[in-house]
Amino acid sequence: MTGPQETGPELPEREILAAEYVLGLLDAEAKLQARGLVATDPDFAADIAHWQGRLAPLLDTMPPVAPGDDMWPRIQAALDQGDLSAEPVVEVLALRRRVRNWKIATGFSAAAAVALAFLASPMMRGPAPGDPPAQQFAAADPLVASIPIGDTPLRLGVTYLPDREEMLVSASGLSADGVHDHELWLVTPDDGAKSLGVVVPGSERRMVLDPALAARINDGAELVLTREPLGGAVPGTDAGPVVASGSFQKT
Amino acid sequence: MSESDTPTNAADTARARLQEAMQRLANGDRSALEWIYQATSAKLFGICLRILGDRSEAEDALQDVYVSLWQRAKSYDPDRASPISWLAVFARNRAIDRLRKGKVRGGAVPVDEAFELPDKEPLADAVLESGERSVRIQHCLGTLEERQQDAIRTAFFEGTTYAELAEKRGIPLGTMKSWVRRGLAKLKRCLEA
Repeated sequence: MTGPQETGPELPEREILAAEYVLGLLDAEAKLQARGLVATDPDFAADIAHWQGRLAPLLDTMPPVAPGDDMWPRIQAALDQGDLSAEPVVEVLALRRRVRNWKIATGFSAAAAVALAFLASPMMRGPAPGDPPAQQFAAADPLVASIPIGDTPLRLGVTYLPDREEMLVSASGLSADGVHDHELWLVTPDDGAKSLGVVVPGSERRMVLDPALAARINDGAELVLTREPLGGAVPGTDAGPVVASGSFQKT
Repeated sequence: MSESDTPTNAADTARARLQEAMQRLANGDRSALEWIYQATSAKLFGICLRILGDRSEAEDALQDVYVSLWQRAKSYDPDRASPISWLAVFARNRAIDRLRKGKVRGGAVPVDEAFELPDKEPLADAVLESGERSVRIQHCLGTLEERQQDAIRTAFFEGTTYAELAEKRGIPLGTMKSWVRRGLAKLKRCLEA
């Protein structure tokens, strides 16, 4: 018989976290941290695979149901259109234009972006005169963007924690090619793209945002990722090609 | 045990064929995707439908599953997991993502829809995995306290977080966590016994 006082050998912390991750029990921040751990700790990745394997048979009990006959043609059409991220190509082009326009207009310091990425420095740029006040983000729900990278299976995870004005960028699955860096930009409707810094492949970074910049992040805010020379966009030149885009959403 | 030979072999054959199709998919062969779709769509649609409780949402999720599969076939490691389990978990995760975006209210599928039979025989579906593993997890879950079972099942089928579970059941977060963690430890012991 089992009773409330029953005790058995506890699972190691790491294995508990793996099970919690697989089940979906974790809150947004813990989930992001777990995702980062997957890339850096092969044992943790193996724990996750094991728990998925243990729980997968629960899905066997769900009775098969045939989807409609139009389902396969729909999938084919989606593949043919290259509608891979459910984001119209037109939109990406428009964003690219906006990134370029902004680059021409201002000339941004790549060094600042690097400082933001590496030192978590909040000093990137001062508040613009018309910036809305930061306190409009009293709502503390994290915003999350999951950005698919081109035609690869990879995603860049970006989580913004409004109550701390902190951003977590999880590039765990990405690897450096040695000749390019990728730079993340926040697309603002009225003021072009604002750099959120160079993404460091294979890492998870926590950075404190400048309040003026943080104030511009809201549900639906668009992000683009551009391919740049090592070190980030060169000041005074156009941003590199947009390689991926996505938007923040409430969790 | 001669009795179990036939289904086991059928499952092995089906698994090998799906494995082979996944390999072709990884090499960029789009006809492999159609084969995989025919073989697995009823199972994966059943999963999406159960989780989302809405046919149109489940169809969107299913489309997402196969489009993503095409995108990420290269990341599939043929040595690691049984392909149908991998696909099933993949579909479950996609459906949960969709559910959590709050576009639909999760809920039970109407009985007649849930038990609707596939109108064509899936190539590999029914025999991909023997029912043995399924029986085992059900048995082991059954050894847990009711509240532990409930929490684990709800999380798995609805993607419910600790905080939401605790609120739903009206108990402190810490208590919920320790129930679930004890339950997970016990579940693992049972499954590996």
